[in-house]
Amino acid sequence: MINIFGIGWIDNEEYGCIAAGEKVNYKDSAGFDGLSKRIFSHPFKNFGRLDKTSKLICYAAALALKDACINYSQKQDMGIIGTNDSGSLESDLLYFKDYLDSGRTLSRGNLFIYTLPSSPLGEAAIHFGLQGPLFYTASRRKPLSAIMEMASEMILSDETSAMLAGVNSDENAVCLILKKSAVSGNNFLCHESTIKAITSKDLAFKYLIKEFSALRKGSI
Amino acid sequence: MNKLEAVIVACDMVTSYGTGINACWNGMLSGRTAVSRLRRFNTSAFQSGYAAAVEGLKYLKGDSLVMQMFGLLFENNSFSAPEDAKFILATTKGEIDLLEEKFLTGKGDSGKSNPLHLLKKLSTLAGVSDSGIIISTACASSSAALAQAASMIKNGRSDCVLVAACDGVTEFIYSGFSSLMALDKSAASPFDKERSGLSLGEAAAYALVMSESRAKKEKRKIIGRIAGWGLSNDASHMTGPSRTSDGLIRAVNKALNSACIGEGSIGFISAHGTGTVYNDAMEMRAFHSVFKKKIPVYSVKGAIGHTLGAAGLVETIIALKALEEKTVPLTVNLKTADYDAEGWVSRNPHTLAGKQTALITNAGFSGINTALVVE
Repeated sequence: MINIFGIGWIDNEEYGCIAAGEKVNYKDSAGFDGLSKRIFSHPFKNFGRLDKTSKLICYAAALALKDACINYSQKQDMGIIGTNDSGSLESDLLYFKDYLDSGRTLSRGNLFIYTLPSSPLGEAAIHFGLQGPLFYTASRRKPLSAIMEMASEMILSDETSAMLAGVNSDENAVCLILKKSAVSGNNFLCHESTIKAITSKDLAFKYLIKEFSALRKGSI
Repeated sequence: MNKLEAVIVACDMVTSYGTGINACWNGMLSGRTAVSRLRRFNTSAFQSGYAAAVEGLKYLKGDSLVMQMFGLLFENNSFSAPEDAKFILATTKGEIDLLEEKFLTGKGDSGKSNPLHLLKKLSTLAGVSDSGIIISTACASSSAALAQAASMIKNGRSDCVLVAACDGVTEFIYSGFSSLMALDKSAASPFDKERSGLSLGEAAAYALVMSESRAKKEKRKIIGRIAGWGLSNDASHMTGPSRTSDGLIRAVNKALNSACIGEGSIGFISAHGTGTVYNDAMEMRAFHSVFKKKIPVYSVKGAIGHTLGAAGLVETIIALKALEEKTVPLTVNLKTADYDAEGWVSRNPHTLAGKQTALITNAGFSGINTALVVE
């Protein structure tokens, strides 16, 4: 049985952990980049060079791992899967404009790297030591439901023992930790099917977070 | 884990050798590389001026390169996918030339380069009703897609999955690899002592993956079986292969375990073999670690270049062709094998005796590793 052990999220103003019932407004107290010292449990080398999507994903991943009480000081058998509906378009535009501005003679490798939609997941895999499968996927289906289905199958097929599943837009990201476990006990947030029922409603991010929070309080 | 039942019942490809599996197979066996001077755009500012491009494609003039290649595949042959097939598209940059076209000619719409648009066009072209999913795992995209297709069949989510894969040689991609100093000045020579980088290539390919029971019921010819797979991540560097090869070793061992076989059952390895110093060394270190004896290893990338998101599928199809022909192909452009590849890679094709199982390895940026076992 697949259960959800933690959920982390971030948007332009706030971030939070669902199981811990934590929500922090950072807009007036710290810049987006300044959150790295608050959110990561150990220093993120060269965090400033990451693109915006990578930063969002890494923040949400750190919050989800914290929510699930998972330490990431060692490499571990956990995969990562992510989705969005814009691919890497913003990074593509940034890279190609920069290249054209150089007179089509010079391009920057550090911008090119992020034109792969899997790169933000790669940054997260490196920092958090995730050695399982890494997938970027996209479809016209409800995004979080779709990746949870794939993530659950990978765990049930013993391809990996846990998955970090994330969805992002230009301004927000949410990540979930999925693991196999027995139903009994209360160390997990909820069963995968409960989350799927929420995520299949195609709600806007803020409403999804509200529903997740309500779920934790037992009101759903 | 139970023996898997995902079989390939149809497949085809377009590469720089031309349309069809035989064009690529015969081209490789001839020892002649399809990597040549690139005339599609000005390369004078780049590290190289060579690539393996498909002849006759129009660049920045309407249809994208990859749609033109799929047109050659789907419109000009008798293949049609079952309408109920699930659909997976594997690519890294898909129709990125549409974004280039907007910037360079003012025509079109950059947003149309979003792969979801390509997914929709291809599902229509292939005749499947499923809206499909995109899988993008850098240069291991299509081997990950094949693994996902096999998983969907094994888990009973579908009994028929069409996997398509593609990437083109465009200025966007070429300039990027040049900025990373990853390109060979001429044609790549994987596993060679003097290798100095990769050559970009382009391809489009498809494979129809079915449950064995449905394939038998529909009396389809079984071309090959996806017997096992393994996926892993180095979790160490965005662009540099692991110095210990531990990620690829894990992927290969997972693939062997899921196929319920030992390393001694593998007849040959189709390696990722990009031709960069570090990738090829990383792979050979993994093979030395997993395999007790030297077995034949080859790379197709000296012949058709690195076809990025299409590489895993193209290489799987070629491996199945090698099993059918009982012939292990040569590594095109190999002159003198590097010391760690001596006795593994060859300048000549040779007969495959006995073992009818192949291992296909791929790797990509972000430390991604995939291994597939086919038979």
